Amino acid sequence: MSDQVPIVTLSIDGRPVTVPKGTTIWTAARGAGIDVPIFCYHDRMPPLGACRMCLVNVEKTPKLVTSCTQEAAEGMVVSTTTPDVKAGQEAILEFLLINHPLDCPICDKGGECPLQDQTFRYGPGRSRYVEVKRDFAKPVSLGPALVLDRERCILCWRCVRFGEIIAGDDALKGFERGFTSEINTPFTLPAASKFIGNTIAICPVGALTSRTYRFVSRPWDNQRVPSVCTFCGVGCAVFFDVRGNTIMRTQAREAPDLNDIWLCDLGFFGHGYVQHAERLQQPLIRKDGDLQPASWDEALDLVARKIRATAPGRVALLAGARLTNEDAYVAARVFRTVVGTPHLDHRLDTRADGPSLGVSWGMTSPIGEIPTRDLFLLVGCDLTEEYPVLWLRMKQAVDRGAAIIAITPKALEIDRFVAHHLVHDYHEGSAVLAALAQAAGGDSPKTGEVGGVDLGRIALAGEALRGAKRPMVMIGKTALEAADGETMYAEVEDLCGKFGIKPSIMRGRGNAFGAALAGLLPNTSPGGRPLAQVRGDLETVWGAPVAVEPGLSGPHIIEAAGRGELDVLYIAGADPSSDVLDRSRWAAARSRLPFLVVVDAFLTETAQAADVVLPALVIPEKNGTVSNIEGRVQRVHAAVSGPGEARGDWQILSGLAVRLGRTIAYSGWEEIFNEMKTLIPGLEVDAIVPLAAPARAVSAPGAQKSDGRETAADGEYPLALIVGDVLFDRGSMSGRSPAIADLAREPWAMLHPDDAARATVADGDPIVLTARRGSIAVMARVSKAVLPGHVYVPRGYDAAPVNAIVGAGEAVTRVRVRALVTVAGGQGNG
Amino acid sequence: MNDRRRSTILRYARQGVAMLRGLGVTFRYLFKRPITIRYPEEKRTAVQPRFKGRHWLTLYGDGMERCVGCELCVIVCPSQAIYVKAAENTPEHQVSKGERYAAEFQINELRCIFCGFCEEACPTGAIVLGREYELAGYTRESMIYTKPMLTEPYPGSSGRDPQREV
Ligand code: SF4
Ligand code: SF4
Ligand code: SF4
Ligand code: SF4
Ligand code: FES
Repeated sequence: MSDQVPIVTLSIDGRPVTVPKGTTIWTAARGAGIDVPIFCYHDRMPPLGACRMCLVNVEKTPKLVTSCTQEAAEGMVVSTTTPDVKAGQEAILEFLLINHPLDCPICDKGGECPLQDQTFRYGPGRSRYVEVKRDFAKPVSLGPALVLDRERCILCWRCVRFGEIIAGDDALKGFERGFTSEINTPFTLPAASKFIGNTIAICPVGALTSRTYRFVSRPWDNQRVPSVCTFCGVGCAVFFDVRGNTIMRTQAREAPDLNDIWLCDLGFFGHGYVQHAERLQQPLIRKDGDLQPASWDEALDLVARKIRATAPGRVALLAGARLTNEDAYVAARVFRTVVGTPHLDHRLDTRADGPSLGVSWGMTSPIGEIPTRDLFLLVGCDLTEEYPVLWLRMKQAVDRGAAIIAITPKALEIDRFVAHHLVHDYHEGSAVLAALAQAAGGDSPKTGEVGGVDLGRIALAGEALRGAKRPMVMIGKTALEAADGETMYAEVEDLCGKFGIKPSIMRGRGNAFGAALAGLLPNTSPGGRPLAQVRGDLETVWGAPVAVEPGLSGPHIIEAAGRGELDVLYIAGADPSSDVLDRSRWAAARSRLPFLVVVDAFLTETAQAADVVLPALVIPEKNGTVSNIEGRVQRVHAAVSGPGEARGDWQILSGLAVRLGRTIAYSGWEEIFNEMKTLIPGLEVDAIVPLAAPARAVSAPGAQKSDGRETAADGEYPLALIVGDVLFDRGSMSGRSPAIADLAREPWAMLHPDDAARATVADGDPIVLTARRGSIAVMARVSKAVLPGHVYVPRGYDAAPVNAIVGAGEAVTRVRVRALVTVAGGQGNG
Repeated sequence: MNDRRRSTILRYARQGVAMLRGLGVTFRYLFKRPITIRYPEEKRTAVQPRFKGRHWLTLYGDGMERCVGCELCVIVCPSQAIYVKAAENTPEHQVSKGERYAAEFQINELRCIFCGFCEEACPTGAIVLGREYELAGYTRESMIYTKPMLTEPYPGSSGRDPQREV
């Protein structure tokens, strides 16, 4: 095998180096441990040859050559230290510094700056330039997170090329020429990117810096704590840089099979909530109608008393994505054995009758394989909004020729990389999928249209699908939670069957996968096997009887509570009030629920209505493990200690267990993890541990029930409402991270220009969306990304909760749009 | 035997002479003016020109702080005595020249070994070691000098020329 790859041998600084043909001199030198300074070259992008820092001497060439662009050839004699190379390096550095302000003492890059380091190591030590330096106004704000200092920029083009090559969003561009060249955003608008933090990381000087990290720390102040980002489900490897007891910044930690060296901006700038002043510091108990501070003993005693006084089957647990795997496991153990209830789940934001509850969430193949796929089928999955870093990996595949077919009701941001973008009428997704499946089979009419999509385009997509060798299929929330979600899922599964693969279920944020793995599901044990199958093991390890009858799932728990069938609900790290698809269901549940315990970091809407609120730690404050969407188990280290008396979830639960008469105590996360290992085969840190078997339950018969109802437009409510998840929102955590709240901007809704014109609404206008159940006030964004007759509203804005106007029973919620006329001095009111 | 006795006598004689010589020095100085002073009742008028005492954070003539909060003094300090937390100047609140200033500045004078490295590292000539050597306190906390304590009361009061660029 190895002799098929042509090999060249060259000598670098007298050392023979053998590399595959096509390798550049710079890469060959690095492989041999020889350091050649660079600025513009970055090994995740092709060479450019802009900065000339990497000059080396190659025998028999008249001039110095740039080693980052020059391919190594057989018999080449390269030298990196000869006097002419030294002179070249000094000249380049002197030249780069001519217009450099040398304000290192102020610059945030100081102490970790390649320009500083290389000037120190390779520079001439003094400058002959006495003339006036280039003078730009500084700093320039390029959006909520990014700050540019044009004087410091050495025009290496790394940031520009990141947008062109890695992210594909062209967020930054170069303008002007020569002396006045500068980097800026197109039209000097705020940088339109979800990945801008990466440009800060790769800028070799302090030209691009972060607004959240501005002047707050120096590299030598920071303690780097390896951890995992748990905002979305990708679970990127990060470092938290901690000074004192504060997270100063988040940086990417290299993980080739996961996030490589990248993060998205939610990961980069979203840690602000951890230190927010509104973090809960001590337990609260409702006394005389108000939540009042109490001691842990008081609060836990009260919770235990209520649970004891209740029949086990009338207690339920909803535990969300803020939990580590160990927390989730202890929660499952305590509720299944000590409390004795089977009603536990981590899934809330699903239809009670949809397909989401019947499938196991997560990817069916590793993230590391994405770059090698040749076709992606995205069904109702808004990749950059929901799992942003996966897009960066997918872009690598696209660059190698992979095609994307996307079937979504709203055009994706990555539109120009989607070869076959089938943007359909919201309620017609299954029809489009059926047509695609037919086209993939080779027989489909080429004219006409289905669900607003031209059949000719579906035919082309079908052809592409037919020719795929290593396809990957992802179905997301928008599809699964649509009225025809069940049908769409069945069609996707069929389609996958033809390729012998399984669709990846792109659902779940945070550590939802860890929760499922640890057993926070009503019908499975830790590891995902059916309870009946592992009952014996469970009872041995847990030392208590375990019931095998399936309990209620998240949405059903809420419905049961609404019917008055539950007495105690324990919610850890979930906020049903904003998470459930239909807020009225939660309101009904709350009003009939005698006792509600909420364990959270903030006084969320749900917590405000609770009887007992317990302050919890968040993931950057915990030790343990978390799982990501591909099932990878990763270690998190406590970076900072929590506020006040806040406690970790498993510690709270073990305190509760004691009060319920059973000692479930652990010395630390390791002991819990080891216990989990006995129940979950293959569980190891850094291993990919998928759920044993998809917990495919018989789907609820209600799926078809709602189909066809209220789909027809009526004059009063002409627009179909599409609800989706966005990366930057203003929820309980993101809204408290200032940079994210800024990136999210005001709550918004997206309309087609035709509909906007009809309602005399322009881009940026305040509008009111009214449905049968109520209305919300939002900002209009006018775009052709949605089809006429549709309006897209993101979830996650506490100020404009879209779940307040959605009815879970409706197949499609219909709304009308009115411009919001603000009366001078008064407040517009929907 | 005899030899041993003789050498013992000789040794005692030598020691006696040495003692007398030493006492001679004592007596000689007994009648001279003393070199030491009765500190703290009496104090020297001036310390040596390169003496290093307590720190000052100096100001420019226009009252702007020289310190830009760069933390170079922090990293160079061999006894980790300095803590700096920087912040951003705004047009309404311009504390130093440039974009950055030290919002917090503390020196633990108990830890400081008065090496002067901080003064040497400072790119703006902000931190200087003054002449004051009376550094004592009743608590450890009182010896952590904060920014208001360190900042010179008026430009030039620490002895650094406020017109000097660096
Ligand atoms: S801003 Fe930084 S990354 Fe971009 S061109 Fe300038 S120096 Fe290079
Ligand atoms: S992609 Fe997801 S896990 Fe990765 S940095 Fe962004 S929010 Fe965090
Ligand atoms: S004089 Fe030396 S020991 Fe004292 S603060 Fe300055 S650098 Fe530190
Ligand atoms: S005193 Fe000087 S070295 Fe120390 S932070 Fe201020 S400017 Fe920097
Ligand atoms: S690194 Fe080779 S030219 Fe810039």
